[in-house]
Amino acid sequence: MKNILLILGVMFLFSCGDQEAPKEKIGQSKLLVTSVNYPLHYFAEQIGGDLIRIEYPIPADVDPAYWVPDENALEVYQSADIILANGADYTKWMNNVSLPSSRIVNTSKEFKKSYIELKDVATHSHGPEGKHEHAGYAFTTWLDFELAAGQALTIKEILIDKLPDNKTLIEANYKLLKKDIEALHESMIRVGKEFDGLNILGSHPVYQYLAAAYGLKIYSVHFEPGEMPSGDQWKEYDHLIDHYPSSIMLWEGEPLPEVSETLKEKGIQVVVFNPCGNQPESGDFISTMKTNILNLSGRVQ
Amino acid sequence: MKQSFYLAIKYLQFHRIRTLVLVASIGLILYLPNGLQRLISESEIQMMARADATPLIVGAKGNSTDLVINTLYFEQQEIEPVSLKTVDLLNQTGFGYSIPILSAFKAREYPIVGTNLDYFDFRNLNIEEGRTLRYVGECVIGSRVARRLNLKPGDSLISSPENFFDLAGVYPLRMEVVGILRTSNTPDDLAVFTDLKTNWVIMGLGHGHDDLQKVYDPTLVLKRDSSNVTASAKLYIYNEISGKYLGSFHFHGNIEDYPITSVLFIPDDKKSATILRGRFESGAMEDQIVVPGLVVENLLQSIFRIKQIFNTVFILVGVATLLILGLIVILTLRLRKEELYTMFTIGSSRYKITEIIGFELIITLVLSLVVATILYGITGYFVEDFIRQFII
Repeated sequence: MKNILLILGVMFLFSCGDQEAPKEKIGQSKLLVTSVNYPLHYFAEQIGGDLIRIEYPIPADVDPAYWVPDENALEVYQSADIILANGADYTKWMNNVSLPSSRIVNTSKEFKKSYIELKDVATHSHGPEGKHEHAGYAFTTWLDFELAAGQALTIKEILIDKLPDNKTLIEANYKLLKKDIEALHESMIRVGKEFDGLNILGSHPVYQYLAAAYGLKIYSVHFEPGEMPSGDQWKEYDHLIDHYPSSIMLWEGEPLPEVSETLKEKGIQVVVFNPCGNQPESGDFISTMKTNILNLSGRVQ
Repeated sequence: MKQSFYLAIKYLQFHRIRTLVLVASIGLILYLPNGLQRLISESEIQMMARADATPLIVGAKGNSTDLVINTLYFEQQEIEPVSLKTVDLLNQTGFGYSIPILSAFKAREYPIVGTNLDYFDFRNLNIEEGRTLRYVGECVIGSRVARRLNLKPGDSLISSPENFFDLAGVYPLRMEVVGILRTSNTPDDLAVFTDLKTNWVIMGLGHGHDDLQKVYDPTLVLKRDSSNVTASAKLYIYNEISGKYLGSFHFHGNIEDYPITSVLFIPDDKKSATILRGRFESGAMEDQIVVPGLVVENLLQSIFRIKQIFNTVFILVGVATLLILGLIVILTLRLRKEELYTMFTIGSSRYKITEIIGFELIITLVLSLVVATILYGITGYFVEDFIRQFII
């Protein structure tokens, strides 16, 4: 009797093992998608849902545009089935690493003509006949919500291409995301109209697409949210405000209290408009953008 | 009959030098056409296997054989480059995907092949030791390169300055060996693989140096204005790309215009390949597209023509050998006249004498066949190595 119980016990254990294995296999066989910034990660997550396995190897405390992946992060990118790139010279690190090109999807390739070329960027050349270093493009494309929808569309298309059996679900997910992005676009158009050509200062040159899409006149300095600007940076600010008088300054994050105080003394309201290049501490892409728009609206006196 | 055979053996043993020369020459004559046939057949199999495993190659208009030889076997023929834009144009067709190849430089006589990670997947190349490419400035080497140069992961390899793009040569670049490929018995075993961008660094299109915005030595700067700094030739350019300098590496000009020697195109299906070839043939797309299998087949037909010439030569040499053999037999009979007369006078019949001489000839021919078979076997054993070493 004891032997029979033992055999049954062993058989039960083996049968449990057999049931676990396929589950693990299904999980591993899911399409692995990774991205070079948070907006693309969010779009892929919303469109792909449970159909895909999504990895985001970017640490929380960095700006993905200037971050360079370490070996572990690079391994994630190299093993992904789809690497969502932003295009427009975002992530210059991609020029210095080895990636499988066939798996890189430039989400902004359909609107390359809309890239905004950077003008005030110092370049260099070697010798009088040498070619100039490429000045580059502004890269926060997703702040033009029409372009953001275009990037989401590219993600939808590549997912349908890879998972044709799930086309209906992917299409439905995309429609929901598109609706959210279109709502942001409509709201931002209204905010743009409120400003009606008034000047806005930017703490950092990251709002080019926002300005171009919604008719905002944004002139930027190079202040960092967590740092007190140097004397030269304040001079740059004074020079800018002389030419483009404004009472509003956009910041990527909350500036230091002493910077806010100094700006307040100069008659400048601080407005946080987080470009959301990296994952926000709370909420998601849509909620962060909604907060941004809310922060900006009703500011015109 | 036994006695005749015994006498024939004894005779051949007594004249061993003459017998050996005869056996060797007849053996070689029998072996050569068959050995050559084996060599050509094996070459054909190996060359065709590589070519057939590569669906399409795109490159600049010109000699298609050079293009294929450069792309498949990394024999660095002087071919016109195409720009990286070609890769984008091919990918935009939606018929498949492209793998760029830049094979123009060498490191200690072994070809440096600039490509991307897709190449390793496409050719099923796995890492035996170390890891795959991660950063610019690294290289993964074929198993035979590793063996012959005694290299292991962590060692470095310096690019040679000479190349067909620039006769004046380029600055050598020290590359870190990060991995060794598992033996694949293909030309990949004899190549040094780098990222395409590493090759552009070797070409001088990309490089690393101190930040010119922060350089205050006036001898390093020719001109400085609000938008650009022009550096002088004195500016030190890093000759290796390590973690410390990696961030300073950058490219000048438009990367889309940078050169590659060819593109491997992997179509989704046969129909896509046909449509794409049609676009090139109609002139809708520039450059040339070739099916490597067809090009290599043409090349092999040229080899077959050479083989036919060889065969004719061997037949003539064979006939000459047989005539010499006949002459030797006649002369031998004349020399052995007295010996044969003695045999005849002690009672040996004419038939018996013919039988003895016949056995001598049969034994010589059998020994020659054995020699030819041994040589053929040796050829079979070494043929693959020989082909990889001297033909592919």
